[in-house]
Amino acid sequence: MSWARSFWVVFAKEVREGVRDRRSLVAALFFPFLGPALLAVMLYLVSQSSRRADELGVDIPVAGREFAPNLVAFLEQGARVVAAPPDPEEAVRRGDLEVVVVIPPEFGEAFRTGRPAPVRIITDESRQQARPSAAAAERLLAAWSRQTGAQRLVLRGVHPAVFEPLALERVDVSTPASRAAALLATIPFFLVMALFTGGMPVAIDVTAGERERQSLEPLFAAPLRRSALVLSKIAGAAVFSSLALVETAIGFGLVPLALPATRIGFSMHLDPRMLARILALCVPMVLLASALMVMLAAKARNFRAAQTTLSLLMLVPALPGMALGLLAARPPASLFAVPFLGEQMVITHLLRAEEVTFLQVGLCSAATLLAAALVVAFTVRAFERGQPLFDA
Amino acid sequence: MIDLQGVRKAFGKVDALRGVTFSVPDGHITGLLGPNGAGKTTALRIVYGVLRPDAGRAAVDGIDLATSRLEAQRRLGVLPHAQGLYARLTAREHILYFGEMHGLAGAALRRRAAELVDLLGMADFADRRTEGFSQGQKVKVALARALVHAPRNVVLDEPTNGLDVAATRQVRALLLQLRTAGHCILFSSHVMQEVSALCDRVVVIARGQVVAEGTPDDLRRQTGREGLEDAFVAAIGSEEGLA
Repeated sequence: MSWARSFWVVFAKEVREGVRDRRSLVAALFFPFLGPALLAVMLYLVSQSSRRADELGVDIPVAGREFAPNLVAFLEQGARVVAAPPDPEEAVRRGDLEVVVVIPPEFGEAFRTGRPAPVRIITDESRQQARPSAAAAERLLAAWSRQTGAQRLVLRGVHPAVFEPLALERVDVSTPASRAAALLATIPFFLVMALFTGGMPVAIDVTAGERERQSLEPLFAAPLRRSALVLSKIAGAAVFSSLALVETAIGFGLVPLALPATRIGFSMHLDPRMLARILALCVPMVLLASALMVMLAAKARNFRAAQTTLSLLMLVPALPGMALGLLAARPPASLFAVPFLGEQMVITHLLRAEEVTFLQVGLCSAATLLAAALVVAFTVRAFERGQPLFDA
Repeated sequence: MIDLQGVRKAFGKVDALRGVTFSVPDGHITGLLGPNGAGKTTALRIVYGVLRPDAGRAAVDGIDLATSRLEAQRRLGVLPHAQGLYARLTAREHILYFGEMHGLAGAALRRRAAELVDLLGMADFADRRTEGFSQGQKVKVALARALVHAPRNVVLDEPTNGLDVAATRQVRALLLQLRTAGHCILFSSHVMQEVSALCDRVVVIARGQVVAEGTPDDLRRQTGREGLEDAFVAAIGSEEGLA
């Protein structure tokens, strides 16, 4: 019987068994939507917080507004001044309000006599989301303070510029778009996770699982080339890995539809053409991941040990990619030749609509394919020595 | 025909086989008898090509397993020590799967599978998934799988292990049928009754070496004992590990 035919016979059986296995199906069909769902939720939260700050303006609750009508009038130019609750500190502590400005009764007296007039900003520094409101209140109060100080200097015949040696200006280049774009760095991470988790149950089942059920011995006694046996098992895992991968990609493709650019403040380049390019980049990774999982699961002592090993394995390629994606610095070109990492960097570039060179794509694809070939060769040799049937 | 010549195999420091030579002729049932741990399974695994000997030679119909493993394995039907079935495949799918691996296909394969389902009395459970099968049902599936390509040579590792009386008799009847058809049958056992009920020839193995070989009558003569059981014990040198 030809090599191709034996490969096909075993491959078809591995896929059929995988389809009949609930765990394999769940891993391939349901887990993949986790990444896109998480991204959508995070994007939604980011867009919500920036919408509040940028479009609707900030609400500043003020207690004691009757003691400083001029100040309150100034605040109203930059924010909405609302009434504060009777116990402002408690309200902030409970998280009902992000900030409260308290003007004490002695404000008027101090202001009239030219002493620094007390104003309190009550906020909870430990709450990340309270910071923009507190900063806005502080900025407005400081501006009023500066303006009033300048007026006093003018009254006394001093040019206000004397008092301001620095013309400090802060320019914040972060936009809702750039903040949300940082989240795009999670896409390659989830793609790599998907191609590992999708193929994992099958990779374990066809190796450590078969050994545990003792069905490998009849298989080894059948007239099959060990290379056909190894490759059919890797291909079986790759089918489920690809399934999970394609689903994850489609899931990410749906995110911009669920959250239109007008909502999140920027457009994501995730049209079908982009998805196809990303999937093409993933093909070598699917092969390498499936080969790695079959190799390690074949070496594992039993089913459980294989599960533990493979769960750890999947974090190794996924995490550095995400870390690099979050770093703004340009990575050195040689990193593109690192399997998994190179692909994740290329995908991140694509998503940011940055230029991707032929060299970068060629480097990472070639490196990953070479690594996959080495793993396959190593596994075939192990099978020829009798592993995973015996601990040879 | 199956030949072993000077076969040695060690696992680490343990010598499992220490120069084993015997041959199994066509048209006979040959029993490989020995206590547990004597090396029976190791010898059979070398015959069906899942283990490689450290030294010596194993051949099926004159085809050397070291140089032409696939060619030799095509001429073998194998029932390993554990049935090792796939829980999510039906009994018939097992037969078809192994038939395909032996190059059968299409209507011919389906006919052959139906034939085996009949022959082994598997009609009731042929199209059920094997999860939860009884030991007897499992052995039948494994046997059908081993015989799907009508191999000239059949190797069985303790085929009646764990079977009830009815199933044991069925398996024995099948082996006798195969002998009549001229097949070469090699099976291992540590049950003497089985060997004496079925075998034309016996190879007694102990501590990795062949200690006696021939017909049951030859054995009785060689050891000078009247009963077959006494003859075995004398050949092995101990009663340990026999049943």
